[in-house]
Parts: sequence; structure tokens; C-alpha cells
Amino acid sequence: MANELVTILGHRLPSAIKGALKQMDDLLADFVAETREMLEAIGGELVAWEAEPSDSARLDSIFRFVHTVKGNCGFFDFPRLEKLSHAAEDALAECRAGRREPDRALVSAVLAIIDRIGEMTDAIEAGQGFAQGDDDELIAALAVGAADVAMEPAPNTTGLIETANSDDGQPEKPGKAALQRTIRLPVSLLDEVMKGVSDMVLARNDLARRLREAGEQPAIDGPFERLSAILADVRTAITRMRMQRLEYLFGSLPRLVRDLSAELGKQVMVDFEGGDVELDREMIEMVRDPLTHIIRNAIDHGIEAPADRLKSGKREIGLLRFSARQSGNRISLVITDDGRGVPGDRLAAKAAAAGIVSEAEAARMSERQKLLLMFEPGLSTAEAVSQVSGRGVGMDVVRANIEKVGGTIDVTSKAGEGTSFHLQLPLTLSIIAALTVEVEGQLYAIPRSYVEEVAFANVQDIEFARAGERQLITFRGRRVPCVALADVFGIADPRRIAWGSKTLVVMRLASDEVFALGVDRVHDHEDVVVKPIAPAIMDTRLYAGTTLLDDGRPILLLDIPSIAAQRGLSSEMRKRVVSAESENAEGGAGTRVPVMLFFGLDGRKRALRLETIRRIETIRREAIDIEGDRAQAVVGTEIFSLAGHDCGPLPEGRCRLLRLSDGDSQIAYIVREVVDASAITHDMVAADDPTLEGTTLIEGELVPVLDVHTLFVGRSAPLRRDAAPICRLPTDSEWARTILEPLVKAAGYAVTAAPDIEADVAIVMDEGEHLPSGPARATIWLSANPEVGGDAIYRYDREALLGALKQATLRGSRPGRAA
Amino acid sequence: MKELLLMCLIAGRRAAIPAVQVQSVIEIEAVTPIPGAADFIVGLTALRSQALTVIDCRVSLGFRPSDRVIGSRAAVIEHEGHQYALVVDEAFDVTEALAEPVELPGGFGEGWGRATRGMVETETGPVLLIDAVQLLHGPCPASEAA
Repeated sequence: MANELVTILGHRLPSAIKGALKQMDDLLADFVAETREMLEAIGGELVAWEAEPSDSARLDSIFRFVHTVKGNCGFFDFPRLEKLSHAAEDALAECRAGRREPDRALVSAVLAIIDRIGEMTDAIEAGQGFAQGDDDELIAALAVGAADVAMEPAPNTTGLIETANSDDGQPEKPGKAALQRTIRLPVSLLDEVMKGVSDMVLARNDLARRLREAGEQPAIDGPFERLSAILADVRTAITRMRMQRLEYLFGSLPRLVRDLSAELGKQVMVDFEGGDVELDREMIEMVRDPLTHIIRNAIDHGIEAPADRLKSGKREIGLLRFSARQSGNRISLVITDDGRGVPGDRLAAKAAAAGIVSEAEAARMSERQKLLLMFEPGLSTAEAVSQVSGRGVGMDVVRANIEKVGGTIDVTSKAGEGTSFHLQLPLTLSIIAALTVEVEGQLYAIPRSYVEEVAFANVQDIEFARAGERQLITFRGRRVPCVALADVFGIADPRRIAWGSKTLVVMRLASDEVFALGVDRVHDHEDVVVKPIAPAIMDTRLYAGTTLLDDGRPILLLDIPSIAAQRGLSSEMRKRVVSAESENAEGGAGTRVPVMLFFGLDGRKRALRLETIRRIETIRREAIDIEGDRAQAVVGTEIFSLAGHDCGPLPEGRCRLLRLSDGDSQIAYIVREVVDASAITHDMVAADDPTLEGTTLIEGELVPVLDVHTLFVGRSAPLRRDAAPICRLPTDSEWARTILEPLVKAAGYAVTAAPDIEADVAIVMDEGEHLPSGPARATIWLSANPEVGGDAIYRYDREALLGALKQATLRGSRPGRAA
Repeated sequence: MKELLLMCLIAGRRAAIPAVQVQSVIEIEAVTPIPGAADFIVGLTALRSQALTVIDCRVSLGFRPSDRVIGSRAAVIEHEGHQYALVVDEAFDVTEALAEPVELPGGFGEGWGRATRGMVETETGPVLLIDAVQLLHGPCPASEAA
């Protein structure tokens, strides 16, 4: 599969695409490793289930296995594997629902399928195609009343090979994918080594102090320096052994979202925050599955079809937002969609119908309790069983997996506005970036992920106000509740706090609420190793962990969400700061327009309206391609039109991009440096330049504001890959594949071979000799004969062919694509 | 094999902690206070790269707090993956118990009952045998109420 992509795209977008492929390979390796691990784990269960087919706990875990395999297959496009696991899942679901009694025949059939899954996994790992076997037989054996099948091994790889490479007749080289050698270690061993290294660092510090006191000793200082350097390297390596950036997990999601939304006729945009949060490798693997389930559900059931969204006054494109924060020994991950929300009443009705709760109980339940029903086994809100989210099994599996690692999952939802899943995950060991602050002579650490800004009451223009017993500050034009840390600790009288001498740490919670903590001083930014604290200290609900300073002194890490909750600074439902902004605008001098300040490539400061900026990206210089008037940038696996590149030389190495969206299409604007978010408070002065909306004073400086409209003119639409019309080509023609396909793609089409997608246009060649298989809304006839007449087009008549393709898109403005 | 005991002075009384529970005896050099924590928790102290939760045994037993924690001796114990330093008045040697612990009719007096496993004879006379884990939870509600 990977090889095929290289030959198609390799010469056009070398580095960027290859990078994506590398990532794909990694994912594939993960898939293989995960499947194999599950197979090993499930081995015992299988045997036990065979002995006792009615054992429902075993049934559940086997069901989860096939369900997970099915989910992963959808992602990787292994149709056979998917078909097998889906079939097994169906049969097992019947048993779980009590509609079918598991018997020996079913057990054998399921076991045969699991064996086949194992064999296919081996083949995938070796990079080989799998023999064209007869899966139908295995699937048929699942049917009620089927004869008991013997567990035969699959025919070995002598038959036709399933991968695309086999067309050229070359046999696959066996085992060409040289696997990186790995060993598996118990995490506790790593912990022990980590602890040993930490002790070593402290011993080194102690020794260093003594050496300094003893004065210069060249004979000892040299080797000591070397020892220190080695120790630092070892420490870094050991730390890295366990940690992985969440980005690694996030990286695989856009593709999943894209595929799912295409399949379901929805348009979904993804937004990530906190990809740099590091998480235990183990934990990342544990959340991958639950996350996939949540995404499937959100796209399938949450986000509405584009037409429905427009009807209810929303933007056509749904938004799926992931935000991760780290706090001591917890990670909070919030997944939010802006779909239709989860109808609590319907959940309750279904739960009552399924016998999970009684009618009376259901009637008494609060909205929240109703929502939590979604985590009960055997409950689904799906009206119809679809291939994507199955039959609502997801959520009980999700909760089981999250709780297995000691995490929690919660859900909030508002009808018509969307649903948020709040995942809290523990960290057994973690390094976090922290800000150390001082209160009453003691140091405390605050996870930097919550810190938005540090402000000095006596230096910056901060206005203090009181509302009842609440202290407020007006900061950057918004009123922010404020609390002194000394007051939180109960060591100072809240009415006697000298606010004027405090330093204010402005915090933003994962739920987007903002508040300020008053401290005496801010000391330093540090990366700290967080260790869990004793339960008796945990009881204070003020601290999330402890860490040692460089000199070996222990300090406490604050539990910011818990402090905020105790102080009533956060509410359960997320409230966007934006709304607070609009409320506060009344007192100000006119409306504030939020903007992003940045330096262009020419080094001049400019501003862009914040609402048009979707994301800030960093890409490598090689991912930008400029040729004449055409400028494009590759971000991940997507191509964007580029703007802003013509005012100065491109930076070497890494390039910063602002991804702008007009709601329908996106472009990338290259900048030298992103400064900060700010706001326009003064009037805009019209500029005699069509690329500018005008100029204005921002924080006392004259700043040109770019005109977004002009930026999008001529750069939008045709490059949107997920909105590309689909063309179906004959699959059995060499010419169609090598000559026609690039042409069709260049014309802005996506080419499909999948038989179940309705294409916008199909191309039929040589009077129907080469037919594409599958439905299409329009058909173009090509002929190898230059003298062709009627509706057909000579196959090298480029103009006519392009014209016909364009016609086909215009004609079928695709009313049914959302179906 | 007779049980080995760490002899110490707690709240002015001779007491013993089973040596198997004790990892080491340290001198408390510095303590990081923990605002908001219960009284029997004095704070955190570092032992190599570990942070220990410092417990004042006097308060845990329901007596008045120690006058001076810095410079005091403490017994280091581990419980459920967390490490604690139990501050005692004095820590002496490890000795052997001469007999099994016994209960005394009428108990050992206010505060001692819950954390004491009985009285044990040693070469230097009878001592109270302390169950160190009981001290980690602070004074029980009953003794607070009393």
C-alpha cells in the first residue's frame, strides 16, 4: 500500500509526502504490534470461552477484540480484515444482546476468524500481500445453524496477492521490512532506573558543591565534568524512554476524521491544542482506542450533515476540538464537537427499553444522570447500524479502557450546541513545564500549560475592582476573577491583601475559563519531575504532586483545576471567554476586534483578524513549493495555497504559517514570527492599498491590518482536497492508470476505485470495453479512435476532455453527496 | 527469631517501632510546609531524590505538637508506595523484644490505644509497641472529639 503511494506521488512532493508515509508506516507498525498484543492477551480467554461458550465476561472481551480490530481496519483500508472482524462482531453482538445462544459451532467459527486475523497481521507486518483466500467460508460458518468448521490454517501465500504491487508480476520480496529490534520491559524497572538516576544527579550536585569549596583541582575537575555530561545524557535518554508527545497521537487523527467525514457526507474541521504535552508512552496507547471511538461517535451522531447545520444556523463545517492540558499527575483531554448534542431523554428511554433502568428510575433521573447512561453496556443512540460507529458499543468499551488505566471520563452536552468529553488520565511519572512562584516565603510550582500570562500589578496597567467579596481585575479588556494564593492556603486574610504589590498569574483552564492567581513573586520556568503525593496531602485538594528543586528541596505542585473548582472559578459547562469579552465591551471605548500580531517575512509588523486564523503551523522549508505565480505549502498531508511569501526571503529551516479559513476553504500565510494576540480598540484608517483593510493603532504602534478578502481571492477553493469531486476510472486499463489518472487529478478530481462510493463522474473507454465499476452521476466516453463522433471524445483531445470534466462537476452540483 | 525493635521516645514515653517497618532513621534538616494540610502533617522533606511526608507522631497520637521539628530524629517508613518520616522525640538503638506484646487491662491511656499493639518487654524494661501505619492517618475522630 505504501509503495503504491510513493510511485504516484513521490516525484511531485518528495519530502513532505514521504514524511507522511513514514508516519503511516509507524502507524502500521503500531497496528500490527497492538493487534498481536491483543491476540496474545486474548489467547487464554479464547480457550476459556471454548470450554464455556455462555460465559458472558469472556464473550465481552472477545467482542472487544474484534471490535477494535474492525475499527483499526477502517482506518488502514484492509477490506478483508475489516469484513472478517465485522462479521465476527455482528455474530457476537447478537449473543451479547441475548438474541442468540453461543454454541460450539459459533465458537469454532469465531476462533477460525481470529486465527485468520492473526495470519493476516503477520502478512501485513512482513509487507507481503495475503493470499487470496476464501473468507466467505469463514463468514458463512458464523451463521446460525452452520456446520462446525475445522480450524484449518489459511492457504499459504502462493495464490494471487492482494496488494496493488502485484500487477507487475514481480514476486514480493519476503520480509523486506527490516524490523527495528526492540525488547519489552516492565515499567516498574524503568521507574527504578529513573529513580536511581535522579539520586545520582543529587549526589553529583552534592559532590560539585564540595569540589567548589575545595578550590580548583584540575586532576579531578576534568573527569568530573565528563561524568556530569554523561549523567545528563543518561537522564535525558531515560526520561525519553517513557515519554511521548501527544502530537504523535494527534497526528493520526486528521486522517481518520477526514475519512470518516467523507464516508458519512459530513464536513468536519479538526482543531488541536496541547500537542506538546508529553504523556507516558503506555498511556498514549491506552487512550488511542477510546479516542477513536469518541471521534467516530462525534462524526456519526454528533455533527449534523452540512444542510442540517445550515438550517440550524451553524457553519456548514463542523468543528472537532481536542485540547490537552497537563497538571501534576493528571492529563486532562477534552474532546468537543459542535454538533446536535446528545438527547438525554432519548438515552433514558432507550435505557428503559433495554432494561438497564426501570421506567420510574428513568423518569427521576437528572439530565446529567441521563447523559451518563451512554456509558452503560448495550446502549446506543444510533438510529441505524452503520459501518462507522457500529451499534453503540463504543462508549462502554471506552469507559472500561479509560478506567482500566485509572482515568475517568465525563460528558457534558447541550442540545443543539454540542457535546464535550472530558478525559482525566493519571501520570505515573511525568516531566512537566512549571512556573515556580513564591508565597509567604515558600515556593510552589504551577503547571505552565495553565499559565496564559504573568502580569505585574504595579507595572502594567491593571485595574482592580471588587464585586461583593470577589476581587476582579481588568486585564486586556476583560474582567477576570482573581484570588490570592495566600488566601487559598488560608494563611492570609482576603480583605487585607496588598494587591498592588502582587504578581498576577493569569490562568486558562481546559474549559477555557480564565482567572488570575495573586502571588508574591514569580521565580523561574523549570521542567520538573512530578511525583505523587501522600493521600493525606491529596485530601487538601490543593496539590497535584511534588517535585524537587535543583538543590534537592521538595516543593508542591498546585492542582489548578481543583483550586479553581473550590473557589467557584470554573463551572461545569464550558463557557467561552469570547462571551465574557462581548459583555465587557460595553464599558470600553467602542468594540474590540481581536487580532493576531506578527512579523511578515519583510520584518514589518502586521495584524490579521483573529477569527480567520484557524491554527498556527510550523513546517520545514522544503514543504513549500513556489513556481511563478503558484505558491503552495504542505501541512501534514494537505496542500494549501500560500500567501505572504512575496514580501521577503523565505526563512531557512523552519517556517511559521498562519492557517486562515474563510469558512469554506483554507490558505496558509507565511510569517517570520508570531507576536501575540491583541485587539484593535482604535478606529481603522483606510489605506490606499487593496491588500490592507486599513491601518490602526495597536498598543501604541501603527500596524497595518491585512485584508483577508483579498488574500482569499484567487487562492481558495480548487485545492480543497476533501471537497474535490470524485471521478471513477476504468481499473483494468494501463492507459487509464498511467496517463488519464494524473490528468484527471490535475483537473481537481479525486480518483476512486471503491465500488460503494457514488462518483461525480465516470470515464468509460473504447466503446465500453473498459468499464469502471460502481455508480456515477455523469459519464464521459473516451475513444482511442481520433475520428470518433457523437458524444465520445478522442482520448488525446485534452481540451475536450477537460471541458467535459468541468461540465460534469457543474452539472452535478452534488445534491446527494451528503447522503 | 525475636522481633527487632527501634527504640524511641514519643511524647515523652518510651516506645518501639518494629524494625521491619523502618527503612532508616534520619535527622530532619529542612521542612517544606504544606498550607491547608491537616495538623499532623508537618510538611515535606527530601531524602536523596525522594520527598517524604513528615508526620508529627505527637499530633497523630492526639497530643500537643512537637516544639521543634528541625533537628529532630524521624523514622522513615513506606506505606502504599508513599514514603513518610515519623518525627519522634528521640531515636535510640535497635534491640530485641524479649517476649510477645501483651495487652494491659485498662489500656495505655488517652491517645495510645489505637496506635499501640501492646506492651513489650526489652532488656531495658517495658515499652509500648507502636503500629507505625496507624500514625499515618492522623488522630482518629474519636480522640479529636475527646
